[in-house]
Amino acid sequence: MTEKELESKQPPKRSGQRAAYVDELKYSVSLLAKNKLVLIGIVMSVFFILVAIFSNVIVNPATAYKFNFPNDYCWNSNLFSWGTQSKICPATLNFPLGSDGYGRNLLSMIVLAIPLDLSIALEIVGSALAIGIILGAVAAYAGGWVDEVILRVTDIFFAFPFLILALVFAAVLGRTIPNLELAILLVWWPVYVRLIRGQMLSEKTKAYVEALKALGVSRWRTLFFHLIPNSIYPLLVQATLDIGGVILTFSALVFLGFSPSPALPELGNLTADGIGQIFTAPWLLVFPGLVILLISLGFNLVGDGLRDVLDPRLRR
Amino acid sequence: MRIYEYIIRRSVLLVFVLVGVSLITFYLSRGIPSAFNPCAPYINPKMTPEVIHNTCASHGFYQPLYLQYFYWIRDVLSGNWGSAGTWANGQPVYTVFASRFPYTVELALSAVIISVVVGLPLGILSAVHNNKPIDHASRIVALTGISTPVYWFGFVLQLIFFYYFLQWGLPNLPNQGAVSVGAPTIQSYTGIPILDGLLNGNWSFAWDAFLHVILPSITLAFASLGALTRLVRASMLEVLKQDYITLARSKGLSERVVVFRHALRNALIPALTVAGLLFAGLLGGAVITETVFNWPGVGSLSVTAVLQGDSNFVMLYTLVTALIVVVANLIVDVLYAAVDPRIRY
Repeated sequence: MTEKELESKQPPKRSGQRAAYVDELKYSVSLLAKNKLVLIGIVMSVFFILVAIFSNVIVNPATAYKFNFPNDYCWNSNLFSWGTQSKICPATLNFPLGSDGYGRNLLSMIVLAIPLDLSIALEIVGSALAIGIILGAVAAYAGGWVDEVILRVTDIFFAFPFLILALVFAAVLGRTIPNLELAILLVWWPVYVRLIRGQMLSEKTKAYVEALKALGVSRWRTLFFHLIPNSIYPLLVQATLDIGGVILTFSALVFLGFSPSPALPELGNLTADGIGQIFTAPWLLVFPGLVILLISLGFNLVGDGLRDVLDPRLRR
Repeated sequence: MRIYEYIIRRSVLLVFVLVGVSLITFYLSRGIPSAFNPCAPYINPKMTPEVIHNTCASHGFYQPLYLQYFYWIRDVLSGNWGSAGTWANGQPVYTVFASRFPYTVELALSAVIISVVVGLPLGILSAVHNNKPIDHASRIVALTGISTPVYWFGFVLQLIFFYYFLQWGLPNLPNQGAVSVGAPTIQSYTGIPILDGLLNGNWSFAWDAFLHVILPSITLAFASLGALTRLVRASMLEVLKQDYITLARSKGLSERVVVFRHALRNALIPALTVAGLLFAGLLGGAVITETVFNWPGVGSLSVTAVLQGDSNFVMLYTLVTALIVVVANLIVDVLYAAVDPRIRY
């Protein structure tokens, strides 16, 4: 065999790499598909994301905020005898989940609240990821006293009773949505710093980093185009798991007395609004809280499955 | 590094962490738009304006904030944590904290017991029947626990076991407080109601206190159950893959003996560690549950303190809970080294 023939037998290098990558991806997807719980989680998450995107189509926000029950006030039901003045009504055909204390359709309010809650979660998790990646990468890559300082600061934040810290932040900043987001962000970022730092420390010692150095690739290029992309998977898993956690924390802050505004359609706010009527109109508490649970569960199922698939020790 | 050198190094870091925590909390909590003058707890109506001025000056309230911190440190080092606001009748915050802390201990301890009693078998079952329906079911329970809004779950439990059971004429569980409103006052030995009832030989008091702790501790345990179950499962799976387990099986031992005698012991170490850390975390983290059930612990009190802008109580609360968490972590790390000969510092 001539040298030329031999060369033609070899698969072209580039496409070979890509083929391996595609194989790996296919394998991951097949693993995910085998796990029914992940599929359920994906269906739930996609459903809520779609509801969030099309919320303004499903519910017309222009009319949703108005009281549009057939009667001006709810009837004096035997079951729910709080008098004719109440705007809280039990479920009917047009109001499948009943109406809230402002006489609004509870189901419409939940639909309008979902995009707000998801965007709050995305904003907080996204910002925490960005802070975590930058600080964590710098800590791992620079090492020495920079690493030490960043680690000790995260130590301080880990020692805090984090809900109280968020509460104090919120109390100082004032009760608006961006301020509450900021309060949660301030207690949320250290986890990501620790995660990516640990991941990068093990990545840094691998042979390819040495090879890049030998090739004369700059430190920054190595960091941003090689080390960070290679250490980011555990962070993405954590981020998926945290979307539910952030929504839960936000609603907890609202429950503990930091509602941005009383009539705001936000799931935590709707749930907290129902507490006053818990024994007379339990649906006001039960349904919005159930939606928080389902959104959070959906993302947690996906994240939990992703962790199993992406963790090389568990997959084969 | 010897083990005591490691402990000393960690203790120095511990002081550093506590100073950091106090610094951040101090700046923030003094920055809360306060419902009252931060100096107010130190003065009383009988004082003349001049005395008031002197008292406030002696605690550093006319100084810039960064100097006030040092005044605060000085006060704390001499044992004076300051007084709480009018919401706690202006008592010293230390007294308020100490009288409420046993309630939080009772709640956290019951929650950890429930988590371990339910989470441990669930995790073991999950690992032994890996990827079978039992595993999926336990995974769903664990993840649902993590995904549930704590306060919502607490209220739903109240709705069912307090209100509906009352409506249906079933024996219902109490939903507020740690003991019934009309409960007699008994000699307090520990401050923990169940224990005090038992120590006094007052069975009905202890039973009443026990009934009160059921719903809050289930609420608290449900949220922490998931982490424990997942961890037991993971460490059990890891151990079941080891060679010595294969050897035990090849000796012809029954699966029950293999799982409980050989695997469980080794899988239990990380699980119990987490249970310990969980307890430490719950001592500071029962804020929501305590608020939902009107539990008279330090968590619900700290929320009141934040809403009232009472920096003295917030400082004490964060420092004590931070101290518990940091010390628990230190103990766990040292115990790990003592138990596992592979770990060296």
